[in-house]
Amino acid sequence: MSRYTRLLAASAVGVIALASSPAFAAGTVAGTTITNTVTVNYKVGGVSQTAQTASNTVTVDRSVNLTVTSGATTPVSPGQTGAAIKYTVTNTSNDTLDFALSAAQQAGGTAANGGTDVFDTTNVKIYADTNNNGVYDPGTDLPITYLDEVAPDTSRTVFVVSDIPVAQTNGQVAGIILTAQAAAGGTAGSQGTTLTATSGANTAGIDTVFADGAGAGDSANDGKYAAKGDYTVSAPVLTITKVSTLINDPVNGTTNPKAIPGATIEYCIVVANAAGAATAQSLAVSDALPATVSYVSGFGILLNGSASGTAPSYTCSGGTAGGTYDTPTTTVSGTLADLAAGSTETLRFRATIK
Amino acid sequence: MKTFISKFAIAAAFALVSAPALAASGQVSLTGDVVQDKVVVDHGASRHVLVKPEKVVPGDKLVFTTHYRNDGKQSVENFVVTNPLPSGVIYSADGASGAVVSVDGGKTWGALETLKVADGKGGERAAQASDVTHVRWTVASIAPGASGAVSYRATVR
Repeated sequence: MSRYTRLLAASAVGVIALASSPAFAAGTVAGTTITNTVTVNYKVGGVSQTAQTASNTVTVDRSVNLTVTSGATTPVSPGQTGAAIKYTVTNTSNDTLDFALSAAQQAGGTAANGGTDVFDTTNVKIYADTNNNGVYDPGTDLPITYLDEVAPDTSRTVFVVSDIPVAQTNGQVAGIILTAQAAAGGTAGSQGTTLTATSGANTAGIDTVFADGAGAGDSANDGKYAAKGDYTVSAPVLTITKVSTLINDPVNGTTNPKAIPGATIEYCIVVANAAGAATAQSLAVSDALPATVSYVSGFGILLNGSASGTAPSYTCSGGTAGGTYDTPTTTVSGTLADLAAGSTETLRFRATIK
Repeated sequence: MKTFISKFAIAAAFALVSAPALAASGQVSLTGDVVQDKVVVDHGASRHVLVKPEKVVPGDKLVFTTHYRNDGKQSVENFVVTNPLPSGVIYSADGASGAVVSVDGGKTWGALETLKVADGKGGERAAQASDVTHVRWTVASIAPGASGAVSYRATVR
């Protein structure tokens, strides 16, 4: 839009230096008028004449530009609820805008942080960073469907929060695509109308030009921007091995004992967690003894010992007394300490052959 | 959209189209004009076109032009056009032919490369296009009935 004004001044118009405003990335705010005024001084027949001025005005239109970004993958455990991916929505338009938000499951393909999307999360919701601390705080950060009144050159943090199915295994990735779409700002507390690019003839008001780039699955110059974020499942990868060793028999004693009635067997249950997996917590182990053996209460149960060698040929040693033996069910059970990736723990007990 | 408003401070009269009365009250008629410098890609080759400014957004290039005509019967001498830069634009270094510029609000004038501005550390640095506050042209003489134009280029902040 441009306007032209002509002004014939009664006296010379003083020249006023206009303070230059600092340049923002988003630039001059939409609706600002740029008025160019010239002053002309001249002489006729050697006599200075009345100064004249002329001016014209251009109104700056709305240039819509935005980006959405996400960061490192969010590590999650199987069955976790309320797991959040953090996104940043930045308004690089020259106008205050609302942004409608929508989150969708990625359908396969490469996820945000290089993994491959293989599963969908459930119960997907979008939350604002209500207390502006950059961290999702359940109960404090509130669910939203749009960002309200985002000023030019400012960013907002948004969390996509969802639940992880319990069946997922270590290393699996789920991608979520967050799309922000530009809507008119100006009314706090309600989402403005979705903006459309002004096509064809110019209008009297502020026109809209889409200057946004292409995001994850959206096109350039469409007034919206999408970005991928992802979850990566971090779960324990457990292997369990049961090793039995003959301790003695009634005939040979401890020298080359044989598995004859009355012989004592030491059982060692070795639990290993693979390298790169998550730490296993509350690791409960139980072993129901067959009717052909009797639990040796004098030896008891030793927990958290060490196992040397490689599966399945472990040699067990050490451990501290713990665990329980349930006589009616003839079941040995114990809870092991937290098991970090790449390490092993043991549960040892003895029984005699009936 | 382009609207046209003409205002006479002395006569306090408005005319909506051009102003024939202006010739009587003033010796010179002035017409301000602004166009947008757009790059058009045509069959793989890009070229510049000057169009009416319709959708103007930050980063767009504008050309501000002032047309003048001597409507009197006598020559106009020492015709000085002084143009403060609007705050919403940055002067383009390739901007204006035959002009001198000011970087200090119109106190001193010269070619851009000869001007200096304070560097904020007590010293001076060479002025840049973004420092320009005013553009000025001087036309020595305009014969009766003659016309011309001066223009400069700028970028929307």
